[in-house]
Amino acid sequence: MSTRLGALSYLAWRALAVQPLKRASGHGTGRERFLAAYAAEGLEPTTPEDRAAAEAASACIGCGLCESGCRLAGVAPSLRDLGLHAIFRLYSKSAPGLLQARDGLDACAGCTGCEPLCPTGVPISRLVRWFQGRAAGWLDGGRA
Amino acid sequence: MAGAVAALAARESGERVVLARRAPGATGLSGGAISVAHDPAAIATTPWAARAGVVESARRIAATVPGHPYDVLRDRLDRLWNAVEFATGQLSGLLAPPTGRNRWLLTPFGRAHPVATCQESMVAGDLAEVRGVLAVVAPRGHLWWDAGLVASGAVRARPLGAPEVRVVPLDLFMWEDAALARPFDLARMLEAPGAAEQVGAMLRERLPRFAAAALFPPVLGLDPAARVAERVSAAAGVPVAEFLSDLPSVPGLRLQRALEARLAEAGVDVLVGDVHDATGPGAPARVGGREVAAASWVLASGRYVGGGIARRGALLEPVLGLPVLASEGAFAEADARLAARAPGALTVRDSRAAQPLLAAGLKVDPELHPLDAEGRVIHDRLFAAGAVVGGHDQASDGTGMGVAIFTGWLAGRAAARAVPA
Repeated sequence: MSTRLGALSYLAWRALAVQPLKRASGHGTGRERFLAAYAAEGLEPTTPEDRAAAEAASACIGCGLCESGCRLAGVAPSLRDLGLHAIFRLYSKSAPGLLQARDGLDACAGCTGCEPLCPTGVPISRLVRWFQGRAAGWLDGGRA
Repeated sequence: MAGAVAALAARESGERVVLARRAPGATGLSGGAISVAHDPAAIATTPWAARAGVVESARRIAATVPGHPYDVLRDRLDRLWNAVEFATGQLSGLLAPPTGRNRWLLTPFGRAHPVATCQESMVAGDLAEVRGVLAVVAPRGHLWWDAGLVASGAVRARPLGAPEVRVVPLDLFMWEDAALARPFDLARMLEAPGAAEQVGAMLRERLPRFAAAALFPPVLGLDPAARVAERVSAAAGVPVAEFLSDLPSVPGLRLQRALEARLAEAGVDVLVGDVHDATGPGAPARVGGREVAAASWVLASGRYVGGGIARRGALLEPVLGLPVLASEGAFAEADARLAARAPGALTVRDSRAAQPLLAAGLKVDPELHPLDAEGRVIHDRLFAAGAVVGGHDQASDGTGMGVAIFTGWLAGRAAARAVPA
Protein backbone atom coordinates (compact mmCIF):
# COMPACT_ATOMS: atom_id res chain seq x y z
CA MET A 1 0.00 0.00 0.00
CA SER A 2 2.75 2.42 0.96
CA THR A 3 4.64 1.54 -2.25
CA ARG A 4 1.55 2.36 -4.31
CA LEU A 5 1.06 5.61 -2.43
CA GLY A 6 4.71 6.49 -3.00
CA ALA A 7 4.43 5.82 -6.71
CA LEU A 8 1.27 7.88 -7.07
CA SER A 9 2.82 10.76 -5.10
CA TYR A 10 5.85 10.69 -7.38
CA LEU A 11 3.64 10.77 -10.49
CA ALA A 12 1.62 13.65 -9.04
CA TRP A 13 4.86 15.54 -8.26
CA ARG A 14 6.07 15.03 -11.85
CA ALA A 15 2.73 16.03 -13.40
CA LEU A 16 1.93 19.01 -11.18
CA ALA A 17 5.33 20.47 -10.46
CA VAL A 18 8.21 19.19 -12.61
CA GLN A 19 6.53 19.08 -16.05
CA PRO A 20 4.86 22.55 -15.80
CA LEU A 21 8.16 24.02 -14.63
CA LYS A 22 10.03 22.40 -17.51
CA ARG A 23 7.47 23.67 -19.99
CA ALA A 24 7.63 27.16 -18.51
CA SER A 25 11.41 27.24 -18.59
CA GLY A 26 11.20 27.21 -22.43
CA HIS A 27 13.02 24.11 -23.62
CA GLY A 28 11.14 24.18 -26.95
CA THR A 29 8.05 22.34 -28.23
CA GLY A 30 7.26 18.73 -27.52
CA ARG A 31 8.57 17.75 -30.96
CA GLU A 32 11.85 19.62 -30.40
CA ARG A 33 12.35 18.02 -27.00
CA PHE A 34 11.56 14.57 -28.47
CA LEU A 35 14.12 15.14 -31.21
CA ALA A 36 16.70 16.39 -28.72
CA ALA A 37 16.28 13.18 -26.74
CA TYR A 38 15.89 10.59 -29.51
CA ALA A 39 17.20 11.97 -32.82
CA ALA A 40 20.59 10.44 -32.11
CA GLU A 41 18.93 7.01 -32.16
CA GLY A 42 17.31 7.74 -35.51
CA LEU A 43 13.80 8.03 -34.09
CA GLU A 44 11.23 10.61 -35.08
CA PRO A 45 7.86 11.39 -33.51
CA THR A 46 5.07 9.60 -35.37
CA THR A 47 2.49 11.72 -37.16
CA PRO A 48 -1.16 10.84 -37.87
CA GLU A 49 -0.05 10.05 -41.47
CA ASP A 50 2.57 7.65 -40.08
CA ARG A 51 -0.06 5.85 -38.09
CA ALA A 52 -2.40 5.62 -41.10
CA ALA A 53 0.41 4.17 -43.22
CA ALA A 54 1.40 1.74 -40.47
CA GLU A 55 -2.19 0.54 -40.18
CA ALA A 56 -2.47 0.01 -43.95
CA ALA A 57 0.88 -1.80 -44.02
CA SER A 58 -0.10 -3.97 -41.03
CA ALA A 59 -2.59 -5.81 -43.26
CA CYS A 60 0.46 -7.45 -44.94
CA ILE A 61 0.61 -11.13 -43.99
CA GLY A 62 3.97 -11.74 -45.67
CA CYS A 63 2.60 -14.32 -48.11
CA GLY A 64 4.89 -13.20 -50.92
CA LEU A 65 2.27 -13.36 -53.69
CA CYS A 66 3.15 -9.76 -54.65
CA GLU A 67 6.61 -10.93 -55.74
CA SER A 68 5.17 -12.85 -58.65
CA GLY A 69 3.97 -9.59 -60.21
CA CYS A 70 7.16 -7.64 -59.47
CA ARG A 71 8.67 -6.67 -62.82
CA LEU A 72 11.79 -5.34 -61.10
CA ALA A 73 12.51 -8.41 -59.02
CA GLY A 74 14.87 -9.68 -61.70
CA VAL A 75 16.99 -6.55 -61.76
CA ALA A 76 17.04 -5.19 -58.20
CA PRO A 77 18.83 -7.65 -55.89
CA SER A 78 17.70 -5.77 -52.78
CA LEU A 79 14.09 -6.47 -53.72
CA ARG A 80 14.62 -9.99 -54.93
CA ASP A 81 16.47 -11.13 -51.84
CA LEU A 82 14.19 -9.55 -49.26
CA GLY A 83 10.90 -9.46 -51.09
CA LEU A 84 8.78 -6.33 -51.22
CA HIS A 85 6.82 -7.29 -48.13
CA ALA A 86 10.09 -7.14 -46.17
CA ILE A 87 9.84 -3.35 -46.41
CA PHE A 88 6.61 -3.40 -44.45
CA ARG A 89 8.06 -5.72 -41.84
CA LEU A 90 11.26 -3.69 -41.65
CA TYR A 91 9.22 -0.55 -41.06
CA SER A 92 6.97 -2.10 -38.45
CA LYS A 93 9.97 -3.31 -36.45
CA SER A 94 11.99 -0.12 -36.60
CA ALA A 95 11.21 3.02 -38.57
CA PRO A 96 14.90 3.91 -39.15
CA GLY A 97 15.24 0.47 -40.82
CA LEU A 98 13.43 2.06 -43.76
CA LEU A 99 16.71 3.58 -44.89
CA GLN A 100 18.04 0.09 -45.62
CA ALA A 101 15.15 -0.44 -48.02
CA ARG A 102 15.70 2.85 -49.84
CA ASP A 103 17.26 1.31 -52.96
CA GLY A 104 14.42 -1.13 -53.17
CA LEU A 105 11.84 1.62 -52.81
CA ASP A 106 13.49 3.73 -55.51
CA ALA A 107 13.65 0.76 -57.88
CA CYS A 108 10.05 -0.17 -57.24
CA ALA A 109 8.15 3.11 -57.51
CA GLY A 110 6.35 3.26 -60.84
CA CYS A 111 5.64 -0.45 -61.32
CA THR A 112 2.26 -1.47 -59.93
CA GLY A 113 2.35 -5.15 -60.91
CA CYS A 114 2.07 -6.28 -57.28
CA GLU A 115 -0.98 -4.40 -56.12
CA PRO A 116 -3.76 -6.44 -57.75
CA LEU A 117 -2.19 -9.63 -56.34
CA CYS A 118 -2.29 -8.73 -52.64
CA PRO A 119 -4.84 -11.03 -50.95
CA THR A 120 -5.54 -8.57 -48.13
CA GLY A 121 -5.70 -5.47 -50.35
CA VAL A 122 -2.70 -3.54 -49.02
CA PRO A 123 -2.50 -0.31 -51.13
CA ILE A 124 1.09 -1.16 -52.04
CA SER A 125 1.95 1.54 -54.59
CA ARG A 126 0.49 4.31 -52.42
CA LEU A 127 2.52 3.03 -49.45
CA VAL A 128 5.70 2.70 -51.48
CA ARG A 129 5.41 6.34 -52.56
CA TRP A 130 4.78 7.34 -48.95
CA PHE A 131 7.72 5.27 -47.63
CA GLN A 132 9.92 6.77 -50.33
CA GLY A 133 9.04 10.28 -49.21
CA ARG A 134 9.62 9.31 -45.59
CA ALA A 135 13.05 7.84 -46.32
CA ALA A 136 14.05 10.88 -48.41
CA GLY A 137 12.86 13.22 -45.65
CA TRP A 138 15.07 11.39 -43.18
CA LEU A 139 18.15 11.82 -45.30
CA ASP A 140 17.43 15.47 -46.05
CA GLY A 141 16.95 16.06 -42.34
CA GLY A 142 20.69 15.37 -42.08
CA ARG A 143 20.33 12.63 -39.50
CA ALA A 144 21.28 9.62 -41.59
CA MET B 1 -13.05 -19.30 -53.93
CA ALA B 2 -16.59 -19.21 -52.48
CA GLY B 3 -17.39 -15.97 -54.31
CA ALA B 4 -16.05 -17.25 -57.62
CA VAL B 5 -17.94 -20.55 -57.34
CA ALA B 6 -21.15 -18.68 -56.38
CA ALA B 7 -20.71 -16.32 -59.35
CA LEU B 8 -20.11 -19.22 -61.77
CA ALA B 9 -23.06 -21.22 -60.39
CA ALA B 10 -25.39 -18.20 -60.69
CA ARG B 11 -24.08 -17.48 -64.17
CA GLU B 12 -24.77 -21.06 -65.20
CA SER B 13 -28.39 -20.47 -64.19
CA GLY B 14 -28.49 -17.74 -66.84
CA GLU B 15 -28.48 -14.65 -64.60
CA ARG B 16 -26.33 -11.56 -65.08
CA VAL B 17 -23.67 -11.66 -62.36
CA VAL B 18 -21.46 -8.93 -60.92
CA LEU B 19 -18.60 -10.01 -58.68
CA ALA B 20 -17.43 -7.12 -56.49
CA ARG B 21 -14.13 -7.62 -54.76
CA ARG B 22 -11.89 -5.50 -52.60
CA ALA B 23 -8.85 -7.78 -53.04
CA PRO B 24 -8.25 -11.30 -54.36
CA GLY B 25 -8.66 -12.92 -50.91
CA ALA B 26 -7.17 -16.13 -49.59
CA THR B 27 -7.33 -18.27 -52.75
CA GLY B 28 -3.76 -17.40 -53.74
CA LEU B 29 -2.58 -18.77 -50.38
CA SER B 30 -3.73 -22.26 -51.37
CA GLY B 31 -1.09 -24.97 -51.23
CA GLY B 32 -2.47 -26.52 -54.41
CA ALA B 33 -5.08 -28.92 -53.05
CA ILE B 34 -8.82 -28.89 -52.42
CA SER B 35 -9.50 -30.27 -48.93
CA VAL B 36 -13.18 -31.06 -48.40
CA ALA B 37 -13.37 -33.45 -45.42
CA HIS B 38 -11.31 -36.17 -43.81
CA ASP B 39 -12.64 -38.87 -41.57
CA PRO B 40 -13.02 -37.59 -37.98
CA ALA B 41 -13.68 -41.13 -36.77
CA ALA B 42 -10.27 -42.42 -37.93
CA ILE B 43 -7.47 -42.64 -35.40
CA ALA B 44 -3.83 -42.05 -36.32
CA THR B 45 -3.18 -45.74 -37.01
CA THR B 46 -6.27 -46.37 -39.20
CA PRO B 47 -4.96 -47.43 -42.64
CA TRP B 48 -5.94 -45.02 -45.41
CA ALA B 49 -7.82 -47.73 -47.26
CA ALA B 50 -10.10 -48.23 -44.25
CA ARG B 51 -11.05 -44.57 -43.92
CA ALA B 52 -14.34 -43.06 -45.04
CA GLY B 53 -14.66 -41.38 -48.43
CA VAL B 54 -15.02 -37.61 -48.78
CA VAL B 55 -18.82 -37.28 -48.54
CA GLU B 56 -19.14 -39.84 -45.73
CA SER B 57 -16.38 -37.95 -43.85
CA ALA B 58 -18.39 -34.72 -44.25
CA ARG B 59 -21.46 -36.51 -42.82
CA ARG B 60 -19.38 -37.64 -39.84
CA ILE B 61 -18.15 -34.07 -39.27
CA ALA B 62 -21.77 -32.87 -39.44
CA ALA B 63 -22.67 -35.43 -36.78
CA THR B 64 -19.81 -34.56 -34.42
CA VAL B 65 -19.15 -30.80 -34.78
CA PRO B 66 -22.32 -28.84 -33.87
CA GLY B 67 -22.67 -25.60 -35.79
CA HIS B 68 -20.11 -26.54 -38.46
CA PRO B 69 -21.43 -25.47 -41.91
CA TYR B 70 -21.68 -29.18 -42.81
CA ASP B 71 -23.92 -29.61 -39.72
CA VAL B 72 -26.08 -26.63 -40.71
CA LEU B 73 -26.36 -28.11 -44.23
CA ARG B 74 -26.59 -31.76 -43.09
CA ASP B 75 -29.84 -32.41 -44.97
CA ARG B 76 -28.23 -31.18 -48.20
CA LEU B 77 -24.91 -33.06 -47.96
CA ASP B 78 -26.08 -35.41 -50.72
CA ARG B 79 -25.36 -32.49 -53.06
CA LEU B 80 -21.80 -31.91 -51.74
CA TRP B 81 -20.35 -34.09 -54.45
CA ASN B 82 -22.24 -32.18 -57.18
CA ALA B 83 -20.65 -28.98 -55.88
CA VAL B 84 -17.13 -30.45 -55.86
CA GLU B 85 -17.60 -31.81 -59.39
CA PHE B 86 -18.95 -28.44 -60.52
CA ALA B 87 -15.90 -26.58 -59.18
CA THR B 88 -13.36 -29.05 -60.55
CA GLY B 89 -15.20 -29.05 -63.89
CA GLN B 90 -15.01 -25.25 -64.07
CA LEU B 91 -11.24 -25.47 -63.54
CA SER B 92 -10.72 -28.62 -65.57
CA GLY B 93 -7.41 -27.53 -67.11
CA LEU B 94 -5.90 -27.14 -63.65
CA LEU B 95 -7.67 -29.46 -61.20
CA ALA B 96 -7.78 -33.23 -61.51
CA PRO B 97 -11.21 -34.93 -61.44
CA PRO B 98 -12.02 -36.07 -57.87
CA THR B 99 -12.33 -39.79 -57.19
CA GLY B 100 -14.55 -39.84 -54.10
CA ARG B 101 -11.80 -40.91 -51.72
CA ASN B 102 -9.11 -38.69 -50.26
CA ARG B 103 -5.73 -38.51 -51.96
CA TRP B 104 -2.75 -38.33 -49.60
CA LEU B 105 -0.18 -35.69 -50.57
CA LEU B 106 3.02 -34.66 -48.81
CA THR B 107 3.46 -31.17 -47.39
CA PRO B 108 6.82 -29.30 -47.31
CA PHE B 109 6.86 -29.99 -43.56
CA GLY B 110 6.74 -33.78 -43.79
CA ARG B 111 3.08 -34.57 -43.22
CA ALA B 112 0.75 -36.63 -45.38
CA HIS B 113 -2.32 -34.48 -45.99
CA PRO B 114 -5.73 -35.77 -47.18
CA VAL B 115 -7.27 -33.87 -50.11
CA ALA B 116 -10.43 -34.44 -52.16
CA THR B 117 -8.67 -33.26 -55.27
CA CYS B 118 -5.58 -31.35 -56.28
CA GLN B 119 -3.88 -29.79 -59.26
CA GLU B 120 -3.12 -32.17 -62.15
CA SER B 121 0.60 -31.66 -61.53
CA MET B 122 0.21 -33.28 -58.07
CA VAL B 123 -1.84 -36.39 -58.84
CA ALA B 124 1.14 -38.72 -59.34
CA GLY B 125 2.29 -37.90 -55.78
CA ASP B 126 -0.77 -39.54 -54.17
CA LEU B 127 0.95 -41.71 -51.56
CA ALA B 128 -1.93 -44.19 -51.51
CA GLU B 129 -1.49 -44.91 -55.21
CA VAL B 130 2.29 -45.06 -55.75
CA ARG B 131 3.21 -48.71 -56.39
CA GLY B 132 6.97 -48.86 -55.95
CA VAL B 133 9.59 -46.41 -54.69
CA LEU B 134 8.80 -42.70 -54.53
CA ALA B 135 11.83 -40.52 -55.36
CA VAL B 136 11.79 -37.15 -53.54
CA VAL B 137 13.98 -34.71 -55.49
CA ALA B 138 16.33 -32.49 -53.48
CA PRO B 139 17.55 -29.52 -55.59
CA ARG B 140 21.19 -29.03 -54.56
CA GLY B 141 21.30 -25.37 -55.55
CA HIS B 142 18.40 -24.10 -53.47
CA LEU B 143 17.81 -23.59 -49.77
CA TRP B 144 14.03 -23.38 -49.71
CA TRP B 145 12.92 -27.01 -49.30
CA ASP B 146 14.23 -29.83 -47.12
CA ALA B 147 13.63 -33.00 -49.15
CA GLY B 148 14.53 -35.18 -46.14
CA LEU B 149 11.81 -33.51 -44.08
CA VAL B 150 9.30 -33.94 -46.92
CA ALA B 151 10.19 -37.61 -47.27
CA SER B 152 9.89 -38.21 -43.51
CA GLY B 153 6.12 -37.73 -43.85
CA ALA B 154 5.93 -40.79 -46.09
CA VAL B 155 8.29 -42.80 -43.86
CA ARG B 156 6.01 -42.26 -40.85
CA ALA B 157 2.95 -43.12 -42.95
CA ARG B 158 4.37 -46.44 -44.23
CA PRO B 159 2.03 -48.54 -42.00
CA LEU B 160 -0.97 -46.58 -43.30
CA GLY B 161 -0.31 -47.29 -46.97
CA ALA B 162 2.52 -44.95 -48.03
CA PRO B 163 5.23 -46.25 -50.39
CA GLU B 164 8.96 -46.55 -49.73
CA VAL B 165 10.75 -43.23 -50.34
CA ARG B 166 14.27 -42.24 -51.42
CA VAL B 167 15.72 -38.73 -51.44
CA VAL B 168 17.42 -38.04 -54.78
CA PRO B 169 19.77 -35.02 -54.85
CA LEU B 170 19.86 -33.35 -58.28
CA ASP B 171 22.12 -30.54 -59.51
CA LEU B 172 19.17 -28.22 -60.00
CA PHE B 173 19.19 -24.42 -59.74
CA MET B 174 22.98 -24.35 -59.54
CA TRP B 175 23.60 -20.90 -61.04
CA GLU B 176 25.01 -18.00 -59.05
CA ASP B 177 22.58 -16.49 -56.50
CA ALA B 178 20.00 -19.18 -57.24
CA ALA B 179 19.88 -20.21 -53.61
CA LEU B 180 17.83 -17.10 -52.89
CA ALA B 181 15.72 -17.09 -56.06
CA ARG B 182 12.00 -16.94 -55.34
CA PRO B 183 9.70 -19.85 -56.23
CA PHE B 184 8.06 -17.76 -58.97
CA ASP B 185 11.47 -17.19 -60.62
CA LEU B 186 12.21 -20.93 -60.53
CA ALA B 187 8.77 -21.77 -61.95
CA ARG B 188 9.21 -19.37 -64.87
CA MET B 189 12.69 -20.72 -65.52
CA LEU B 190 11.39 -24.30 -65.81
CA GLU B 191 8.81 -23.18 -68.39
CA ALA B 192 11.55 -22.21 -70.87
CA PRO B 193 11.93 -24.50 -73.92
CA GLY B 194 14.31 -27.34 -73.09
CA ALA B 195 14.53 -26.61 -69.34
CA ALA B 196 12.00 -29.21 -68.20
CA GLU B 197 13.47 -31.80 -70.58
CA GLN B 198 16.94 -31.16 -69.14
CA VAL B 199 15.65 -31.68 -65.60
CA GLY B 200 13.92 -34.89 -66.69
CA ALA B 201 17.10 -36.23 -68.30
CA MET B 202 19.04 -35.45 -65.12
CA LEU B 203 16.47 -37.28 -63.02
CA ARG B 204 16.48 -40.31 -65.34
CA GLU B 205 20.20 -40.89 -64.58
CA ARG B 206 19.69 -40.73 -60.82
CA LEU B 207 16.41 -42.62 -60.40
CA PRO B 208 16.53 -45.33 -57.69
CA ARG B 209 15.61 -48.94 -58.60
CA PHE B 210 11.88 -49.65 -58.78
CA ALA B 211 11.10 -45.93 -58.86
CA ALA B 212 7.38 -45.53 -59.58
CA ALA B 213 7.12 -41.74 -59.34
CA ALA B 214 9.21 -38.66 -58.54
CA LEU B 215 8.22 -35.76 -56.32
CA PHE B 216 9.47 -32.20 -56.96
CA PRO B 217 9.14 -28.93 -55.06
CA PRO B 218 5.98 -27.09 -56.18
CA VAL B 219 7.64 -24.93 -58.84
CA LEU B 220 6.83 -26.92 -61.98
CA GLY B 221 5.75 -23.90 -64.04
CA LEU B 222 3.38 -20.99 -63.36
CA ASP B 223 1.26 -21.60 -66.44
CA PRO B 224 -0.41 -25.04 -66.62
CA ALA B 225 -0.33 -24.72 -70.43
CA ALA B 226 3.48 -24.98 -70.28
CA ARG B 227 2.94 -28.62 -69.11
CA VAL B 228 6.21 -28.64 -67.16
CA ALA B 229 5.36 -31.73 -65.06
CA GLU B 230 4.43 -33.71 -68.19
CA ARG B 231 7.60 -32.66 -70.00
CA VAL B 232 9.82 -33.61 -67.04
CA SER B 233 7.93 -36.90 -66.80
CA ALA B 234 8.37 -37.71 -70.49
CA ALA B 235 12.11 -37.10 -70.29
CA ALA B 236 12.58 -38.98 -67.00
CA GLY B 237 10.43 -41.99 -67.88
CA VAL B 238 8.41 -41.94 -64.61
CA PRO B 239 5.31 -40.00 -63.52
CA VAL B 240 6.31 -36.70 -61.91
CA ALA B 241 4.41 -34.67 -59.32
CA GLU B 242 4.82 -31.66 -57.05
CA PHE B 243 4.32 -31.81 -53.29
CA LEU B 244 2.01 -29.25 -51.64
CA SER B 245 3.25 -25.69 -51.31
CA ASP B 246 4.20 -23.39 -48.48
CA LEU B 247 3.99 -19.60 -49.03
CA PRO B 248 4.65 -17.96 -51.39
CA SER B 249 2.70 -20.49 -53.37
CA VAL B 250 3.12 -21.09 -57.08
CA PRO B 251 0.13 -23.50 -57.10
CA GLY B 252 -1.92 -20.86 -55.24
CA LEU B 253 -1.17 -18.31 -57.92
CA ARG B 254 -2.12 -20.85 -60.61
CA LEU B 255 -5.47 -21.41 -58.88
CA GLN B 256 -6.09 -17.67 -58.59
CA ARG B 257 -5.31 -17.11 -62.27
CA ALA B 258 -7.43 -20.06 -63.39
CA LEU B 259 -10.43 -18.74 -61.45
CA GLU B 260 -10.02 -15.27 -62.92
CA ALA B 261 -9.74 -16.66 -66.44
CA ARG B 262 -12.84 -18.81 -65.93
CA LEU B 263 -14.85 -15.86 -64.54
CA ALA B 264 -13.96 -13.77 -67.60
CA GLU B 265 -14.78 -16.65 -69.96
CA ALA B 266 -18.14 -17.23 -68.29
CA GLY B 267 -19.07 -13.55 -68.68
CA VAL B 268 -19.06 -12.59 -64.99
CA ASP B 269 -18.58 -8.83 -64.58
CA VAL B 270 -15.74 -8.36 -62.05
CA LEU B 271 -15.58 -4.98 -60.27
CA VAL B 272 -12.58 -4.16 -58.08
CA GLY B 273 -12.90 -1.79 -55.13
CA ASP B 274 -14.37 -1.34 -51.67
CA VAL B 275 -18.14 -1.70 -51.37
CA HIS B 276 -19.74 1.49 -50.02
CA ASP B 277 -23.27 2.52 -49.09
CA ALA B 278 -24.49 -1.07 -49.15
CA THR B 279 -27.83 -1.70 -47.50
CA GLY B 280 -28.73 -5.08 -48.99
CA PRO B 281 -30.38 -6.72 -52.02
CA GLY B 282 -32.45 -4.49 -54.28
CA ALA B 283 -30.83 -1.22 -53.18
CA PRO B 284 -27.88 0.31 -55.06
CA ALA B 285 -24.34 0.12 -53.65
CA ARG B 286 -21.16 1.75 -54.89
CA VAL B 287 -18.23 -0.50 -55.89
CA GLY B 288 -15.00 1.13 -57.04
CA GLY B 289 -16.82 4.25 -58.27
CA ARG B 290 -19.65 2.38 -60.04
CA GLU B 291 -23.18 1.96 -58.82
CA VAL B 292 -24.54 -1.57 -58.73
CA ALA B 293 -28.07 -2.67 -57.90
CA ALA B 294 -28.57 -6.43 -57.65
CA ALA B 295 -31.82 -8.25 -56.90
CA SER B 296 -30.06 -10.89 -54.80
CA TRP B 297 -26.70 -10.94 -53.07
CA VAL B 298 -24.19 -13.56 -52.01
CA LEU B 299 -21.83 -12.27 -49.35
CA ALA B 300 -18.60 -14.25 -49.81
CA SER B 301 -16.15 -11.77 -48.38
CA GLY B 302 -13.92 -14.24 -46.54
CA ARG B 303 -12.79 -13.95 -42.96
CA TYR B 304 -9.69 -12.08 -41.78
CA VAL B 305 -7.49 -12.29 -44.91
CA GLY B 306 -10.33 -11.35 -47.25
CA GLY B 307 -11.65 -8.67 -44.89
CA GLY B 308 -15.13 -10.22 -44.50
CA ILE B 309 -14.72 -10.13 -40.73
CA ALA B 310 -12.73 -7.20 -39.35
CA ARG B 311 -11.29 -6.55 -35.91
CA ARG B 312 -11.93 -2.99 -34.77
CA GLY B 313 -12.18 -3.18 -31.01
CA ALA B 314 -14.59 -6.08 -31.46
CA LEU B 315 -15.36 -8.33 -34.43
CA LEU B 316 -17.64 -6.88 -37.09
CA GLU B 317 -18.85 -7.56 -40.62
CA PRO B 318 -17.93 -4.34 -42.47
CA VAL B 319 -20.06 -4.48 -45.65
CA LEU B 320 -23.59 -4.73 -44.24
CA GLY B 321 -22.93 -4.62 -40.48
CA LEU B 322 -24.33 -8.14 -39.94
CA PRO B 323 -23.95 -9.67 -36.45
CA VAL B 324 -20.77 -11.72 -35.97
CA LEU B 325 -20.92 -14.67 -33.62
CA ALA B 326 -18.21 -16.58 -31.80
CA SER B 327 -18.54 -19.39 -29.32
CA GLU B 328 -16.26 -21.35 -27.05
CA GLY B 329 -18.28 -24.49 -27.51
CA ALA B 330 -20.84 -25.54 -30.05
CA PHE B 331 -21.39 -22.78 -32.58
CA ALA B 332 -25.01 -23.89 -32.81
CA GLU B 333 -25.72 -22.57 -29.31
CA ALA B 334 -28.08 -19.64 -29.30
CA ASP B 335 -25.90 -17.61 -26.94
CA ALA B 336 -22.82 -17.63 -29.16
CA ARG B 337 -22.18 -13.95 -28.50
CA LEU B 338 -18.52 -13.90 -27.51
CA ALA B 339 -17.74 -11.80 -30.61
CA ALA B 340 -18.61 -8.64 -28.67
CA ARG B 341 -15.43 -9.20 -26.66
CA ALA B 342 -12.05 -7.84 -27.70
CA PRO B 343 -10.42 -10.29 -30.19
CA GLY B 344 -7.57 -10.91 -27.73
CA ALA B 345 -10.07 -12.50 -25.34
CA LEU B 346 -11.17 -15.01 -28.01
CA THR B 347 -8.07 -17.18 -27.99
CA VAL B 348 -7.38 -19.93 -25.49
CA ARG B 349 -4.00 -20.92 -24.14
CA ASP B 350 -4.03 -24.53 -25.29
CA SER B 351 -2.93 -24.21 -28.92
CA ARG B 352 -4.57 -27.54 -29.82
CA ALA B 353 -7.95 -26.51 -28.42
CA ALA B 354 -10.64 -24.93 -30.60
CA GLN B 355 -10.03 -21.18 -30.81
CA PRO B 356 -13.23 -19.08 -30.79
CA LEU B 357 -11.48 -16.30 -32.74
CA LEU B 358 -10.66 -18.64 -35.63
CA ALA B 359 -14.23 -19.95 -35.97
CA ALA B 360 -16.00 -16.59 -35.62
CA GLY B 361 -18.30 -15.50 -38.40
CA LEU B 362 -21.90 -15.19 -39.52
CA LYS B 363 -24.53 -17.66 -38.44
CA VAL B 364 -26.68 -18.97 -41.30
CA ASP B 365 -29.81 -21.10 -41.74
CA PRO B 366 -29.87 -24.22 -43.98
CA GLU B 367 -30.73 -21.97 -46.96
CA LEU B 368 -27.53 -19.96 -46.22
CA HIS B 369 -29.44 -16.82 -45.22
CA PRO B 370 -27.44 -14.88 -42.59
CA LEU B 371 -29.29 -14.67 -39.28
CA ASP B 372 -29.56 -11.72 -36.91
CA ALA B 373 -28.73 -11.93 -33.20
CA GLU B 374 -32.19 -13.34 -32.46
CA GLY B 375 -31.86 -16.06 -35.11
CA ARG B 376 -34.19 -14.47 -37.68
CA VAL B 377 -33.48 -14.31 -41.44
CA ILE B 378 -32.21 -10.81 -42.29
CA HIS B 379 -33.31 -10.74 -45.94
CA ASP B 380 -34.66 -13.56 -48.07
CA ARG B 381 -32.48 -12.62 -51.08
CA LEU B 382 -29.27 -12.26 -49.07
CA PHE B 383 -27.03 -15.34 -48.83
CA ALA B 384 -23.60 -15.99 -47.29
CA ALA B 385 -20.90 -18.40 -48.44
CA GLY B 386 -17.34 -19.40 -47.62
CA ALA B 387 -15.19 -18.30 -44.70
CA VAL B 388 -17.48 -15.41 -43.72
CA VAL B 389 -19.78 -18.17 -42.43
CA GLY B 390 -18.62 -19.09 -38.93
CA GLY B 391 -18.54 -22.33 -36.99
CA HIS B 392 -15.46 -23.79 -38.65
CA ASP B 393 -11.76 -23.00 -38.52
CA GLN B 394 -11.14 -23.11 -42.24
CA ALA B 395 -7.38 -22.89 -41.97
CA SER B 396 -6.90 -25.98 -39.85
CA ASP B 397 -9.92 -28.29 -39.81
CA GLY B 398 -9.40 -29.61 -43.34
CA THR B 399 -12.78 -28.43 -44.65
CA GLY B 400 -11.94 -24.89 -45.80
CA MET B 401 -12.09 -25.34 -49.56
CA GLY B 402 -14.95 -27.84 -49.27
CA VAL B 403 -17.08 -25.37 -47.30
CA ALA B 404 -16.18 -22.60 -49.77
CA ILE B 405 -17.17 -24.71 -52.77
CA PHE B 406 -20.31 -26.24 -51.24
CA THR B 407 -21.72 -23.03 -49.75
CA GLY B 408 -20.67 -21.02 -52.83
CA TRP B 409 -22.41 -23.44 -55.19
CA LEU B 410 -25.59 -23.61 -53.09
CA ALA B 411 -25.70 -19.85 -52.46
CA GLY B 412 -25.03 -18.95 -56.10
CA ARG B 413 -27.85 -21.19 -57.34
CA ALA B 414 -30.22 -20.02 -54.60
CA ALA B 415 -29.42 -16.36 -55.35
CA ALA B 416 -30.17 -16.93 -59.05
CA ARG B 417 -33.49 -18.63 -58.21
CA ALA B 418 -34.40 -15.77 -55.86
CA VAL B 419 -34.17 -13.11 -58.60
CA PRO B 420 -37.75 -11.89 -59.25
CA ALA B 421 -38.92 -12.73 -62.77
